[in-house]
Amino acid sequence: MMINDEFIHMRPEEKNQLQLERLQSTLNRAYRNVPFHKKRFKEMGIDLSQIESLSNIAQLPFMERQNISENYPYNLFAVPLRDIVRIHTVSGTTQKPTVSGYTTQDLTNWQSILARALCASDVTIHDILQITLNPGLANWGRDYKYGAESIEASVIPHTPMSIEKKLMVLRDYKTSVLITTPSSARQLANYVRKNEVNTNIFGLKTLILIGEAINKNDRRSLEQNLNVRVWTHYGLSEVPGPAIAFECDAHDGLHINEDHFLPEIVDPGTGKVLPEGQFGELVLTTLTTRAFPLIRFKTGDKAKIIKTDCSCGNKLCRIDWRGERTDDLINIDGVKVHKKQIQLSIQTLLNLPSEASKFFIKKRDDKKYIEVWIPVNDVIFSDEIKELEALIQHAENNLLKNIGIPVAIRLREKNTM
Amino acid sequence: MLRIRNLKCYYGRIMAVKGVSLSVKKSQIITLIGANGSGKSTLLEAICGLLPGWEGDISFEGISLKGFDPPAVVKQGISLVPEGRLIFPPISVLDNLKLGAYTMYRKRQHEAVNQTLEKILDLFPILKQRSKQAAGTLSGGEQQMLAIGRSLMSHPKLLLLDEPSMGLAPLIVEKIFEILEALRNDGITILLVEQNAQAALQVADYGYVFETGTVVLQGPASELLADQEVKRAYLGKDYGEFYDDK
Repeated sequence: MMINDEFIHMRPEEKNQLQLERLQSTLNRAYRNVPFHKKRFKEMGIDLSQIESLSNIAQLPFMERQNISENYPYNLFAVPLRDIVRIHTVSGTTQKPTVSGYTTQDLTNWQSILARALCASDVTIHDILQITLNPGLANWGRDYKYGAESIEASVIPHTPMSIEKKLMVLRDYKTSVLITTPSSARQLANYVRKNEVNTNIFGLKTLILIGEAINKNDRRSLEQNLNVRVWTHYGLSEVPGPAIAFECDAHDGLHINEDHFLPEIVDPGTGKVLPEGQFGELVLTTLTTRAFPLIRFKTGDKAKIIKTDCSCGNKLCRIDWRGERTDDLINIDGVKVHKKQIQLSIQTLLNLPSEASKFFIKKRDDKKYIEVWIPVNDVIFSDEIKELEALIQHAENNLLKNIGIPVAIRLREKNTM
Repeated sequence: MLRIRNLKCYYGRIMAVKGVSLSVKKSQIITLIGANGSGKSTLLEAICGLLPGWEGDISFEGISLKGFDPPAVVKQGISLVPEGRLIFPPISVLDNLKLGAYTMYRKRQHEAVNQTLEKILDLFPILKQRSKQAAGTLSGGEQQMLAIGRSLMSHPKLLLLDEPSMGLAPLIVEKIFEILEALRNDGITILLVEQNAQAALQVADYGYVFETGTVVLQGPASELLADQEVKRAYLGKDYGEFYDDK
């Protein structure tokens, strides 16, 4: 596949023109085809012909996760269902799942986005690429698979497997690139160290970490323990997808795919656009998306934009992203959940007042999970251990299925909560 | 080469082009497709200096065309093949062609004009055969060739064409578009306005889809040809065949 990469070397004024053209047509399409956008623009008296530069976008309202769930399932689509060729659903951050659709063209775009990001980490036709992710990131797994296949790397697609099996595949299949989350990578590194596995017999040279940010120390220790180079990608698990920004050879910030996404940094409280170089909430507008355009979508991720030239020569601007949030979403291995969502699930499952339960993020073997404390009351209580265990099992399974994150439930006496 | 930002054109109080941005790259065929009245021809008129009072920026090779009258635009190297050909029927084919070089006669470059004329007659042998005939006696396709030939007389770097396929038989349309491809391969940049989206996208490198004075989609021509929405709206596919309620 040809990767359209004249864009990464475009002169600033050319880049600006292309982004403006794409922004204007995205807004025109959204206005015409999506009642939600039309209604909001009309109510706010927005005349789209007044959007004459990229910064004029600040006149437009934000989109939030709430808006997506309110329009469940298909009401934010900008094309008829007939044109949709893939539908992704993720647990989302409210009770309703987030549904997004893709046209054929959208999928081609994603393929080139992923291909570009992988090429920047020196992935080539000669590589064997293994994808291991949590069930909650299965959609990303698919995108990485198609992207890697488009640059003709050999892909071992995402399949859930035990750590021993993972290592066996790594060793026997001579995996050279591993795509996984930071915590899975840490788990692997610890296992390797504890069990004195000889990493020299591995062909692994590249570790691409997605879902969560990683600090310098962790990066260094992973690089040493697994004998690899580490690269990170930034994406959103609900919409639109992975690798919105990616690291280059310089490992100094992540390049945003500016031909597909227009980034802004705003003050999360006031919504005002912040001056260049300040940390704030990352807001994204899609520039090429056909099926599910996002207009000023508040990601809740804290970042700052770096506009100075990168030593790698790529002209795409960069973000400094350290994994902090500007809202109370919890990021567990790349899957974002809302506190309220967990409380609601517990409430519906166990018929408990939502505020009664407490929960904590814990680590077991370097894998994060949520521990939920539930006060024992008359409704739940049974004098048979078997029944109690069944109840816990049922609730744990159900939560895992609903939000895609491992959950451990502890029944507590009220006074120990 | 040509860069348009936020172009707004008015007929009286009515805004016909509502903030359009587009760019034309050197030695490419760029096509603007869209239904009747979507503002495509208006945009061409604005570029050529035929429509006063537009707002926004039009720049050609870095020079703003704001306030330029048509002869000044032609001098910059832009030439228009107008909708409906607009040749001069009573006068001969040869004289029609010579009129295309009106900016050069003023500079007394008669020799150069004759050389160009030779080249164009070589490009369109049919015009050579009929050079003495009154232009009005030519067939539709021949008239279109004459109109293109006439606009080439001023040595344009950018050729603007407004509906060159209008009223022509499919075979002739094919021929005209072959000529456009040949011109592009010779290094002439072409901005092609067409309702015949299928034919236009087949020769073009990049396209913009217009709807009621705005651009709703742009992309490489091959992408647009495969696009469901473009097929539905402009490639003559039956809407009922595609439509389903969301």
